[in-house]
Amino acid sequence: MEWFIANWTFVAGLAATHLSVSVVPIVVGAVLAVVFARVTPTRWVNPARGVLGAIYAIPSLALFVTLPALIGTDFTGPTNVVIALTIYVIASMYFSAHDAFHQVPRPTVTNAESTGMSSRQIFFHVELPMAVPGLIAGLRVAAASTISIASIGAVVGVRNLGYLFIDGFQRKIPEEIITGVLAIFVIAITLDAGLWLVGRLMTRWRFVKVDHA
Amino acid sequence: MLDFTALGAWFSDPENWAGRYGLWNLVAEHLTLTFMAIIVAAIVAVPLGVAIGHFGRGELFVMGLGSVSRAIPTMGLLFALVLVMGIEFRELSVVIALAAITFPPLIAGAYSGVTTIPPWIRDSATAQGMTAWQLVRHVELPLASASIIGGFRIAYIQVVSTVVLAPLVGLGGVGFGIIKGLALRDFPQVTASSIVIIVITVTGDRLIGLIQRFAGVRLGQPTLLETS
Repeated sequence: MEWFIANWTFVAGLAATHLSVSVVPIVVGAVLAVVFARVTPTRWVNPARGVLGAIYAIPSLALFVTLPALIGTDFTGPTNVVIALTIYVIASMYFSAHDAFHQVPRPTVTNAESTGMSSRQIFFHVELPMAVPGLIAGLRVAAASTISIASIGAVVGVRNLGYLFIDGFQRKIPEEIITGVLAIFVIAITLDAGLWLVGRLMTRWRFVKVDHA
Repeated sequence: MLDFTALGAWFSDPENWAGRYGLWNLVAEHLTLTFMAIIVAAIVAVPLGVAIGHFGRGELFVMGLGSVSRAIPTMGLLFALVLVMGIEFRELSVVIALAAITFPPLIAGAYSGVTTIPPWIRDSATAQGMTAWQLVRHVELPLASASIIGGFRIAYIQVVSTVVLAPLVGLGGVGFGIIKGLALRDFPQVTASSIVIIVITVTGDRLIGLIQRFAGVRLGQPTLLETS
């Protein structure tokens, strides 16, 4: 605690970098996962599951340093980390996004069609809102693990909260490492709670009591 | 793009395969650390998960453990434990840190394997006069086996990924090639090591997946399941 009080501006700076390298992948990855989940034809769903499952299994440090060889980016720096984290978010959210849309009751969509809604209207006004609970559940898992995995980016030179682990270990200051662990934990849990709240506010109709005659 | 000539040269150099920091030794070290951690954790986590599922108590603990563990960076946990327990015991502390990482998925796999068994199956086993132990041994464990192995699968992926960071705390493992290669700017070594790591992880994941498919006991008539 004393270490944190003495160095809190330093930690805050690292936390800002940490957030900036994780929020972009979470947002971009989530949108791409939803798009992919919507456009994949049914017979490609199982192969896609296999491929994404394998990608998700790749250790983050290995993915960070394989990307430069594949797409020609620099070995160090935030670019690979942001791209790799986006890939992880897509891989983990694809399944939940697919299931979330699959669980939208068929009659609801048919009703919307029969009232004359266009397929675009149906997507934005019927399917997407109905899929929100499933999407938020998937996003919460992806967001918490992205915040936690981002710390490994410190190994390839991204000065985020993971830097506290490497620096604390080299200088033998356990408090520094523990500060890093707690800071990441607090950010991840806050984000998780925030997403839960957003999900609740977006689907208020689920919590309205209806008196059935 | 992938520089195949440099990679080929690196892989075909016998120097890179032999010795303390040769690939063979590093792969062996990587897998030894991984399996030791999983075994240590499984001895406690699997019986505990089965017990929680069997008695139906402590579900909140399992759920909480799952979401809390996702938010804790494994890298920080590893570094903190090694530093606090001392560099002399780094092998032991790395295994303990890794075991802590595998604990939540192992316990969740065992727990959900037992609780997802339809209640009428347990009821009919009890009605036949099975004791609690027979119920666990002959009904719950076989039916939960696929889910238990699923827990091992997630645990394997997480530990293999975290062992990549072991060189940063002074141990070996294939991650050594990445850390050393980054420091020396020897990029073929970095790429080659990460390819080996990816192969180890994905092959292991697929192998456990196969075991899961064949070892798991499935119910004969799935149509009956829907009535429960």
